[in-house]
Order: sequence, then structure tokens, then C-alpha cells
Amino acid sequence: MLLTIGQLEVKYGSQTALKIEDPISFKKGERIGIIGSNGAGKSTLIKAVLGLVPYRGRIITQLKPEQMAVHMQFNGYVTTMPVRYIMETILGTKIAKNKELQELISFFDFESCLSKRFNALSGGQKQKFTIILVMFQKAGLTFYDEVTSGLDFETRQKLTEMLSQWYRDKDDTLVVISHYYEELEQLADKLLILDKGRVVDFGRKNELFERYCGRVVIIMENSGKNKELSKGFPVLKSPEHLLAISCKSKEQEREMLMILTENNVNFKRSNSDIEMMFMNARERFYAQ
Amino acid sequence: MHNKPCMALRKRQRRNGVTMEKKCSLNMILYELRNINGNFMPHFFGIVFPNLMCLLVSKTVGAQVPAEMRKEAVTSIMLTMTLVIPMAIMLIGYGALYALEIEKGIPLRMRLFGFGEKCEVTAKIAAHFILMTIAFLVFAVFQAVVMEVQRPAAGSLICLLVSLYLIGGIFLIIAHALANILQKFSLTFGVVMCLYFIMMILTGMMGMRTAQLPQVLQKVAGFLPMTYISNDFIDFWQGGSYNFMPFIQSFIFFGAAALILLYLSRMRNHHFSML
Repeated sequence: MLLTIGQLEVKYGSQTALKIEDPISFKKGERIGIIGSNGAGKSTLIKAVLGLVPYRGRIITQLKPEQMAVHMQFNGYVTTMPVRYIMETILGTKIAKNKELQELISFFDFESCLSKRFNALSGGQKQKFTIILVMFQKAGLTFYDEVTSGLDFETRQKLTEMLSQWYRDKDDTLVVISHYYEELEQLADKLLILDKGRVVDFGRKNELFERYCGRVVIIMENSGKNKELSKGFPVLKSPEHLLAISCKSKEQEREMLMILTENNVNFKRSNSDIEMMFMNARERFYAQ
Repeated sequence: MHNKPCMALRKRQRRNGVTMEKKCSLNMILYELRNINGNFMPHFFGIVFPNLMCLLVSKTVGAQVPAEMRKEAVTSIMLTMTLVIPMAIMLIGYGALYALEIEKGIPLRMRLFGFGEKCEVTAKIAAHFILMTIAFLVFAVFQAVVMEVQRPAAGSLICLLVSLYLIGGIFLIIAHALANILQKFSLTFGVVMCLYFIMMILTGMMGMRTAQLPQVLQKVAGFLPMTYISNDFIDFWQGGSYNFMPFIQSFIFFGAAALILLYLSRMRNHHFSML
């Protein structure tokens, strides 16, 4: 095990920000996505692991501290010099002499930004800068806390794709916090679902999907006609404007699809929709 | 088991027999020098301003005193103006720079990259002392070339330099503590600027000698070592005897006040990190 968290409790004043009762373990090479609404305790968990907030309980790891790297939500740097010098100081190497660093800079298309000051970089470039610094550390465990928050849709997609591409075929262990489901679909294999400081569930994406949504989910517009058509099928918790039907078997799915096709209804089929999984996991957690 | 902030990390460090913190290196000092260079304030207030003020005040005062006393008057002004250098570079420059960094969360970001507080602050101190030395050199060259000042006795010059570096160190502690307590650039800058002007008035750097101030203010000024440099150092600049006891006592008081402030800042940070 790379990291085991057990009986963890983090309090801010009298308020419990995070409480993990059953032990959670991160194994080497795993890509863990942490999902939850604001105040769920996602960033608090990272801060506790990094020792930045006081906590009760146990965080056991064989990792040396320098083997952990983190991309925080907000990353501040001095604005008094070009970022090249900040990069060289932090990484303790010269860009001109380090092929590996040059490759990383080139991969993120960051060459032209090196001569700029941090405050002159765009939002995406700022994130790329920290990502390069974090990646170059080649840490045994890397945390990305809302790495694409505040970016426009296109930049967010590009950056997520770059991260996914960079880590493909590598055995780095990643912990990715995100509010964007599509980001977690690309970057995570396992999900830790948090809500109001509690662990809703932790497991592989496909297992969690099957547990909370069935084999497949059919999503369509939430209209009277569609409700009528899907009568008798299990309905899942979904956003107000959508109607989500859970199909537990192939036959059930085929039957549903036939009805929708015959009635000319637009729909989306998914066997990995994280949003549906998250909503239904939370629903079941509070129902228990 | 209750783990205080960073204690868990330190425990793991001890268990693994490693130290996460990077050591202060030449690269780190160069980085801090670049950092200071990117900000005009220490250069203007610490290098340009004292030389400019020295020139202007000397011209004005020099014209009002008899010719045979002019050199002594200009030397006295020069001694007073040297005090602007540590105040501007250490108190205003360091205070403003560090407060801005705290506000932007830069020290935390650096910690997460393995640069501990000790490493970062050591590099900052080294860089600021280097800049202060450069400022003294520029000031000395300016005095030698442009101004007509009395040549000092070696002992008096050494005494002045040691005092200025000590004052610089104390100002740096005050600035560091204030930035840590106030956490905001605007607040820290406001407070250090107020301190700067109050100290300038009290120690006779604003044209009015300390002896001309009300009794209460004279007593307050007596606790500041700058008062003695500004008012008394001219008396033994070219040699002679001087009773250093009140001067040393003022250093002890000023240094103790700075250390108490530093202790309060550490207590404040500890308290807030526990919430």
C-alpha cells in the first residue's frame, strides 16, 4: 500500500470538515479521482495527507515527503521575474542543460511563456506552469486539486487531454480532485466519493457504476411523454431536466431502446456516467 | 492521536530518515536577489532617496552655516542619512515584499516544493543584506565623490557600520514579524511606512533634532539606536571618547522589542494553523 488513511478526523474550529472511519488505501499506480460538492472535504483530505491541517487519526505511508507532489487549487509565485528563473530555482536545474525538462516544456507548448512573468500568463498557462513543476518532481504520489478550475471549456479539455496523454503508460499514482465529471472519466480509475465530510463510497469506477446505476443508464429529457414511455423501468436520481433509466440487463436495455427508437425519442446511453453514479451514491448513502 | 499541522509530515520524515526541506543554496539567494530587483521600492528608497536627500539637505543647510563648519554639518547630515538605507531596505523593502508573498500564498507553495521556511528566510536575509551592502557602497562612493565630508577615524567607521548592520537585522526581524502577523500587503506596507516616518521624526532625520522634540518624545527616541547615530556620532566621527552605554541599552531594548514581535507572530501563526 502506498498510503492508508484510517479513523481520520479533521476539524476547523468546532466543525468537522472530514471524517473517514473505515480505512482507505491507495495502491501504487492507481489513478484516484475524488469527487464531491463544495465543502465535501476533498481539499481537506489532501491537506491532511500533506500535513497542512491538524487532524486526529492515522495516515500511514512509506513515501518520503519529497515523493509527494501537489498542484493546489491556487498556486502563487513571485511576479518580479520571468517564470524561467522560478522554474530553474524550484527544480534546481537549468532548462538549457536539462533535456527532460525541455521535453516537458515542449509537451505543454510552454516555450514562449518562459520569458513572461507569472502575472502575464493566461489562466491555462498558469496551470501548465505548476503542472510542469509538479510533473518534473516525478513523485510517487501526485495530487491535482481542481487543476482546471476557472478555465474555459476548450482550455480545460486540452489540459485534461494533455495530462491524460502524459500519464498514459506510466505507473505514477495520481489523486485528482475535480468537479468536472468528464475530467475524472479521463484521468481516474477509482473514485472516492465524499459528501459533507463523509465517505460515501470508494472503489473502481465500473464497480461503483454498477452498484448505483446498474449495467447501463439511458438518459433522456424529463418530459411527461418520456415518463410515460419509461413506466415500469427503474428510475434513477438525476438532474431536474433529465430522466435517467437504469437497465440491469441486456434485455432490459434492448426493450428500453426499442421503445425510445419507435417513439423517436433522443437519448444518451452510458455505462460510466460519473454524474449519475455520484448522485445516486449520495442518495443511497443518506437513505441508509 | 492528534496530529498538529505539519507534524505528521515531520514524523514521516523522521521515520524515513530524510529531511524534506531543501537547503539554502546560492541559486536560492540569486532567486531572492532577482526577486528584490523586480521591485523598485528598495532601490528607490534605499539607494536613490538617501543620496538625493543627502545632496539636497546638504546644499540647503550648507548655505546657512559658516564655511568653517560646513564640512562638519554635511558629515552630520551624511550620518543621519545612512540610517535611511537599513530602514528602507529592511523595514519597508523586506516587509512589503514578504507580506505580498504571504498574501499570494507563495511561502506555502514553496514549502510544498520542499523549500522550508528556514531555507526561504535565510535566502531572503542574505539577499537583503547583499542589497544593503551595495547601497552602503553606492552611498560611500557618492559621499567621496560628490559630497565634502570629514574623513572618519577607523574605529568610528567600524562602529557605524556594525551599528547599521545590527539595525538592519533588527528591522528585518520587525518587518518579518509584522508581515506574518498582518498577512496582507496593504496593511503591512501601511504599518511599516508609519513606523518609518515616526522613527525618522523621533531620531532627528526629518530636519528637527531630537532635543527639539517634547520631553515625552525625547524619552521614546532614547530607546532607538538611530537617535544616537543621528545626534551623537558626529561628536566622535574623527576620534575622541563617547559614552556608549545608552546606545548599547537602546540596542538591547530595540532588539528585545523586535524579538517579542517575532515571538508574537509565531504564536499567531501557530494559533491560526490549529483552527
